[in-house]
Amino acid sequence: MQKMDHLTRRQSLILGAGALGMATLPRRGALAATMEAGVPVADVKPPSFAIEKGATLRVLRPAKFIAPDETWFRANTKKFTEQTGVHVELDFISWEQLRPQTAVTANTGAGPDIIVGWSADPQIYASKLVDLTDVGDYLGAKYGGWFDLATLYGTKWGSGGKQWIAIPLGGGTGPSVYRISWVKEAGYDKIPNDLNEFLTLCQKLKKIGHPCGFALGHAVGDANGFANWLMWSHGAYAIDEQGKVAIDSPEMINALNYCKEMYPTMIAGTTSWNDASNNQAFAAGEIGLTFNGVSIYYVLKNSKDKRLNTIAADTNNVLPPYGVSKGHPPMSALVINAMLFQHSKFPNAAKDYIRFMMEAPQYGPWLADCYGYWSNPLKAYSEMTIWDKDPKIAAYKEGMNTPYYDGYKGPISANSSALAANYILVDMFAKVATGNASAKEAASFAAKQAERYYKA
Amino acid sequence: MSEAAAGDELLSWDSRARRVVTVYVPLALFVIVLLFPFYWMAITAFKPDSEMEDYAHHSPFWISSPTLHNFSVLLFHTQFPRWMLITISVAVGATILSIFCSVLAAYAIERLRFKGSTHVALAIYLAYLVPPTILFIPLATMVVQFRLYNSPLSLILTYPTFLIPFCTWLLIGYFKSIPYELEECALIDGASRLQILRRIVLPLSVPGLISAGIFAFTLSWNEFIYALAFIQSTGNKTVPVAVLTELVTGDVYQWGALMAGALLGSVPVALFYSLFAEYYVSSLTGAVKE
Amino acid sequence: MLAEAGNAMDATTAQTAVLTWRLERRPDNWVTRLFDNKKFLIGLCLAPAIGLLVVFLTYPLGLGFWLALTDSTIGQRGHFVGLANFISVFNDPVFQLSVFNTIFYTAAATVGKFALGLWLALLLNHHLPFKSFLRAIVLLPWIVPTVLSAIVWWWMYSPQFSIISYILVNVLHLRSTYINFLGSAWPARWSLVAANVWRGIPFVAIITLAGLQTIPPSLYEAALLDGASPWQRFRFITVPLLLPILSVALTLSTLFTFSDFQLVYAITDGGPFNTTQIMATLAYQVAIPGSELGQGAAIAVAMIPFLVALTAINYFGLARRKWQQGPANE
Repeated sequence: MQKMDHLTRRQSLILGAGALGMATLPRRGALAATMEAGVPVADVKPPSFAIEKGATLRVLRPAKFIAPDETWFRANTKKFTEQTGVHVELDFISWEQLRPQTAVTANTGAGPDIIVGWSADPQIYASKLVDLTDVGDYLGAKYGGWFDLATLYGTKWGSGGKQWIAIPLGGGTGPSVYRISWVKEAGYDKIPNDLNEFLTLCQKLKKIGHPCGFALGHAVGDANGFANWLMWSHGAYAIDEQGKVAIDSPEMINALNYCKEMYPTMIAGTTSWNDASNNQAFAAGEIGLTFNGVSIYYVLKNSKDKRLNTIAADTNNVLPPYGVSKGHPPMSALVINAMLFQHSKFPNAAKDYIRFMMEAPQYGPWLADCYGYWSNPLKAYSEMTIWDKDPKIAAYKEGMNTPYYDGYKGPISANSSALAANYILVDMFAKVATGNASAKEAASFAAKQAERYYKA
Repeated sequence: MSEAAAGDELLSWDSRARRVVTVYVPLALFVIVLLFPFYWMAITAFKPDSEMEDYAHHSPFWISSPTLHNFSVLLFHTQFPRWMLITISVAVGATILSIFCSVLAAYAIERLRFKGSTHVALAIYLAYLVPPTILFIPLATMVVQFRLYNSPLSLILTYPTFLIPFCTWLLIGYFKSIPYELEECALIDGASRLQILRRIVLPLSVPGLISAGIFAFTLSWNEFIYALAFIQSTGNKTVPVAVLTELVTGDVYQWGALMAGALLGSVPVALFYSLFAEYYVSSLTGAVKE
Repeated sequence: MLAEAGNAMDATTAQTAVLTWRLERRPDNWVTRLFDNKKFLIGLCLAPAIGLLVVFLTYPLGLGFWLALTDSTIGQRGHFVGLANFISVFNDPVFQLSVFNTIFYTAAATVGKFALGLWLALLLNHHLPFKSFLRAIVLLPWIVPTVLSAIVWWWMYSPQFSIISYILVNVLHLRSTYINFLGSAWPARWSLVAANVWRGIPFVAIITLAGLQTIPPSLYEAALLDGASPWQRFRFITVPLLLPILSVALTLSTLFTFSDFQLVYAITDGGPFNTTQIMATLAYQVAIPGSELGQGAAIAVAMIPFLVALTAINYFGLARRKWQQGPANE
């Protein structure tokens, strides 16, 4: 196979160590029958990294949202230390502190060897990262290939999905989270995919006193997620393939007007919501519908408070309304990528660590206990039985199987992170929703804002 | 020091009722408004999670079933005691360093009269013109070059940049209140300037030193962005940074433990203040006298 | 000038100190002569402070200026682009809005802090029971780390869970719906100002209280004998004598408020739609999550002229005065 030749050459070029026995690259649905820790794997030998003597590693990753995330990660790390003798110092820091810390590390050449950073970070720091193509190709080969979003974020933009500069560990999505009984009371058995019906649902929910709530304030995850959904469900997008700003379009005007009609159905105050607000409101029974990761459901289900358990039983998660989007729900994922910095003294040890953490005996249990908080980047992990155990988390299974990303359809770079970080789209929708600007004004304003970053 | 406040004598002929209305009632209002958020912090820290947002069943003003769970999470399941220790040592270290520099600088400006002393004083204030929100990246570069990255020592060395100006001003004012004649006598008798500083000026300005120290301690304690940027491992963090990191997990705020952290994180400084409150006010008096 | 009663005690201590050293003669050699050389001593005394500030401020400041003139991103060193960042930033309506927001925030918060701080100081200046205790506890808002009190305020301003709304709606029944504190432009701005004022009152109050205590009671007595009203006493005695200390406190307070970051960042993060975006938070947002380091640095540098102007206004307008020039004037 062409790919096999490509790989073999690359492997020997980069590693100069060992011959790789490559099995035929398995297609999805025709995976080799071997199962490893409940995950179907292809028979592929891992690249051998000559781990440096006396290697120690420092790893930084985003803080857990639930205990199992950290517990399993630490346990897996400990396993790595036991097997290889490499001591790993693992630190968890809060989501928002990750960016400045990554910035400091990248700019000063000191700090952790591996940082697990956000979505576009690998593209932003590309020149400071070690090439991880050997790891990326191996994992893809063994685990049925990478989902689109994983390749988009993990490989260098413009390399045709070939040059891996980071390994995506998982992605957090934000599908619909709703109260089953209240939605039924509003006359719907399930969340409709048609946008008009969805609006009617929201109006009915408001009427029965259980309104929906979607963040329109400067909420890093939720607000950008909602803005993206509004856009993509109407067939609009922010940047075109050439990197030109495409905000001011008829589809976007439709999306804006739709948002304006949705706003009165929401609970008060969403323009000041941050990421925690909808969790709080849902758990308190103030809202009946929102977009969120599995954190709402998980906390409700595992709480010691009976009242919250009851709410959990009445809660369900489904993919967000498709609108005009075909094939995939109009939703992206907040992806975390393991980046290996060039200042690391022990790159081989680091590469082996990353590889190790993505292997089924480690990754599988971690993924399972995170209960859908992270969607897997490698296709084989979708076959795990955890997704069947609780049907309510099925919506999180294929989170990374999507062509959508922040800054779709344009290039992923510092510019696309500027789009989300400066809330350009969020503010546009919020202004129209609250009647502070007309759709046309807001769209052209946002377009000018985006052009300040995309002109470069 | 006599506390004969001017107002006291003047109002002595006023009726008690008037005093209540013009003094006690507003004071009570102030105290309520200033302290209410602490009341909120305190009851949240002792509240179990189940009561927190459930206003329908539990009045938010009281606690139906108080619990120490949040405190135990904070103290035993996080590295809170270690963070406390680090924060205290950073604050103390930065304070000592700043006071040392400020005392010398203030003495030079105020006592060793020289041309351009006011300009130097002004130049020291220029330090406040520099916004720290962007500076932390170039500063971080320097911290790394000095091999101080991830060490609390980096904070001890960088905090004086915003502590020294105010402390210097305070001490200049306080030194002014010491009669120059004392020094002149000592000079005539053959004392060296450093001896004067050590034996005369410093002992007399102890209240001023305490005052500057308290101020410096508080600012160091509250500092956030440098502590965030320069310290990476969980074990070396200061309390404000660490509490936020550990207890805000994604989109779930662990309110109980957060508020417990806020309370415990204010206790040392509050203790400090209550011990030295007398000094603080009266020594600032010395600083502002002409 | 009347000396404080306390000074009498200080003078005695000083005399004791003078007597003590007399008992030891120190050797007369070149070292001690050097240490008596005024110029050397000045240099030595100023060295630690100036040295520290120069090392840890001027280089980063210079680097900050440099970054503002490049197109650096957070991961990539950039090239010199001259004033392009500044031009781009100044033409940005979001930046212009942030300038307005910052000026409003600083002005409103400063007025609030000083009016209320001064009032509190006047109150605390009376003879009160538990005076020390009171003075200690009113400092609490200033003591607690900003970032932690900020999230308390966030909760108190919550559209769903605000305790303030709870009191107004469920307890006092003055309203039927919860207040949307942070959901629209002006309520959000005033809410932030309120939180900042809450934080800042103790600082102003304590400094002003110290200043009040330097005002000799005899002045008030004399005015009283002349038949002055309380307001006249306040206006013609209290205010002028407080002015020096107030101007210093004002300078510091406005500088701190103008570059305030934590409070706004934690409560609204600039929302809704940038109506509470101040320059410090915008600079951070553009530079770090937005990864445009050059532009963020330009915004931060743009703050400096304002800070200089604020200091100049205070220095030349209010404080062009004796207190800075030494005791010779009294």
